[in-house]
Amino acid sequence: MEIKGVFNPLPTLTWNFLDLNGVGIDETVKLNNRGDLVIQDLPNGVTVEKDGSLLDDVQGGVGPEMENLMKRENVPTLVIRAQKGKTVSEPICLDYKLGEGDGLLRKQEIIAEEGSEITVIMNYTSKRNESGFFGIQTKLKAEAGATIHLVKTNLLGDQYLHFDDIGAVTADDAHVDIIQMELGGGRNFIGVQADLYGRKSRFDGNVGYLTRGTQLLDMNYNIRHHGKKSESELILNGAMMDKSVKNFRGTINLIRGAKGAVGDEQENVLLLSKDVHNKSLPNILCSEEDVEGTHGATIGRLSEDMLFYMESRGISEREAEILMTKARLNNVNRMIQDVNTLGRIQQFIEEVL
Amino acid sequence: MAEIKPDVKDIDRSLYDFRYDEKDFYKVKEGLTEDIVRQISKEKNDPEWMTEFRLKALETYNEQKIPEWGPDISGLNMDDIVTYVRPNTGMKGKWSEVPDDIKNTFERLGIPDAERKSLAGVGAQYDSELVYHNVKEEVLAQGVVYTDMESALRDHEDLVKSHFMKLVPPTDHKFAALHGAVWSGGSFVYVPAGVKVEIPLQSYFRLNAPGAGQFEHTLIIVEEGADLHFIEGCSAPKYSVANLHAGCVELYVGKNAHLRYSTIENWSKNMYNLNTKRAICEEGATMEWVSGSFGSHVSYLYPTTILKGDNSHMEFTGITFAGKTQNLDTGAKVIQIGKNTASSISSKSISKDGGISTYRSSITVMPQAKNAKATVSCQSLMLDDISVSDTVPAMDIRTDDADIGHEAKIGRISDDAVFYLMSRGISENEARAMIVSGFANPVSKELPLEYAVEMNNLINLEMTGG
Repeated sequence: MEIKGVFNPLPTLTWNFLDLNGVGIDETVKLNNRGDLVIQDLPNGVTVEKDGSLLDDVQGGVGPEMENLMKRENVPTLVIRAQKGKTVSEPICLDYKLGEGDGLLRKQEIIAEEGSEITVIMNYTSKRNESGFFGIQTKLKAEAGATIHLVKTNLLGDQYLHFDDIGAVTADDAHVDIIQMELGGGRNFIGVQADLYGRKSRFDGNVGYLTRGTQLLDMNYNIRHHGKKSESELILNGAMMDKSVKNFRGTINLIRGAKGAVGDEQENVLLLSKDVHNKSLPNILCSEEDVEGTHGATIGRLSEDMLFYMESRGISEREAEILMTKARLNNVNRMIQDVNTLGRIQQFIEEVL
Repeated sequence: MAEIKPDVKDIDRSLYDFRYDEKDFYKVKEGLTEDIVRQISKEKNDPEWMTEFRLKALETYNEQKIPEWGPDISGLNMDDIVTYVRPNTGMKGKWSEVPDDIKNTFERLGIPDAERKSLAGVGAQYDSELVYHNVKEEVLAQGVVYTDMESALRDHEDLVKSHFMKLVPPTDHKFAALHGAVWSGGSFVYVPAGVKVEIPLQSYFRLNAPGAGQFEHTLIIVEEGADLHFIEGCSAPKYSVANLHAGCVELYVGKNAHLRYSTIENWSKNMYNLNTKRAICEEGATMEWVSGSFGSHVSYLYPTTILKGDNSHMEFTGITFAGKTQNLDTGAKVIQIGKNTASSISSKSISKDGGISTYRSSITVMPQAKNAKATVSCQSLMLDDISVSDTVPAMDIRTDDADIGHEAKIGRISDDAVFYLMSRGISENEARAMIVSGFANPVSKELPLEYAVEMNNLINLEMTGG
């Protein structure tokens, strides 16, 4: 399969020298549809349909090229639906288990009908040194008063090429809450677009990442406020090691008419090697007066005060770095309720640190 | 009850919207061709290397693309732009010798008065050439050189040749190449080592001719331990045709030297302001930018600082006011290379009446920039729901030994702040006016008093509604 075009496009272009307007990719990958999907028992109030495709109009953050790719390859869609008014307390877990040389494209749609609540956890795993390709697209629709909690963990092998495209739409009073742990993969292209159409609808994004070796983590978040009094909060906590590269594009778009909307994005990056390369581009686009948009970023290594404090308590610099990295990732981990998922993440972190 | 809103008045342009005919002025034809570039070079008696430089820049211009990011500049047609207009006078050292209409222009702009009161030297450019240049004797006695670029090219050719468009090469972008091809006028300042120029120098650029371009080049060299404050002002009357400003500013700040570069830009709303400013700082040097952008139809303006030397630092303080028909894309860039470098960017913007204001910045910290520090703060105020305010700040960090902080906020006047002031006996009208005025205060307080007053007059507040 040929992957060609610009992925993770920035919603508003900026200087070319920054190399952040999008990622040009032109390469061929082997698609063999290997890789197992394990779905645990479905709780009451949830249905799963195969080969549906109801949310074609929902746009993902990886961009139109990803959409074209899915259509060209005629990727079947798994539709997970929470029935009207049902609060599904048990999470639905989708475990994608991949191996050496696997090449897989998959797509899901998660629809929370009016007044329902659903939690979906997707784990992508392979062995540490394995290579392959895994592209996944997840589209979310939260109808009026509904809530979707989506958890994604990337524990793929260090040589994996990985695309994760997420698109979400919300109706009045709806809420989409996404937790992502980006720990594995060799080259990762992660994109999220949320269109908050509904009045008082809300998006929460909590992202934890750890980059190491020569990993590339390229992220594109585009939160678009259409609805009045819509709210969004995007928080990223990450650490970078070795010769890894991370690009973060985060755009809050306060569109005319979204009166009373509030958007906030924060990124905290811990730099742990002189060879890391971090790029951050937190944008706010605003065409409405009665709104509030904020963003903040802190990027750097451990402060000397912190190191001194740690060392005065017998903790070496290296141990302090590990401790603080875990602390940052735990800010995100603690939001994951599923014990099995949490255990896998913590084991992975222990191994790589 | 209807909400009371501050009516932030449009810039009072009556001060700037007057013009005189270009009687007996020398002009080249509209457009940009090799013949025109050769003609400008010949008229200016360029040395051969400068003619070659111009022609090479023209080639680069023809090869470069229009930027696909930023405000739309499709209304700018180079075939309609006159790139060189020489007034019917040479450069004078006394205002009494300047032709009446040109002198009246600068008097109405308050330049001779400012010179008498608060400046150590003044350069005044009218269209493509300087018509007046003067510097106080005591400053000359310190060994300071402050002259027009043409004189500098003649009298200090080696110095100019070794610095001219070395910081901003014509290959930098299309309009830097354009500048390289047709540049004319501008100021040259050389401050010898250890010399502190106590009061500021100012150059004022006035573009009078309709459909013309202004391409002045400012080259400032501040040697080791020296100190200078340079002020740049610019304006033009409004025409129905597009005017173009593609100036270039190159600033060399020597070891432990200090340079403050202040700009009040108030071009008319038919102006395409595609200006390039860049500074390089040696060890221990300090660069300060103070920038007020009020005019022009479209602006692309991002003063850039290269912190090459260890322990060098920069501060940028800027405000942009985008009103009706304006699309102002402004900000700053910094590249940190030396050890222990520090940068601080503080930007404010106000959008009203459908104006578009974009704050765009980049901080690049190179791998060798150990212990680099950078802070960015940008705040934008939306005064109605038909305007646009965007922030596009980038951080490119290539070392772990850095401490970078960034914060930005877009919003309207806070109801809480109004309530707080009202609870202390201030009327709602006054409270809102105070908040808008206070918003601009961090920039105005960095300017000399006369210029702060001018800026505050530009942001003239009145209250309506109720």
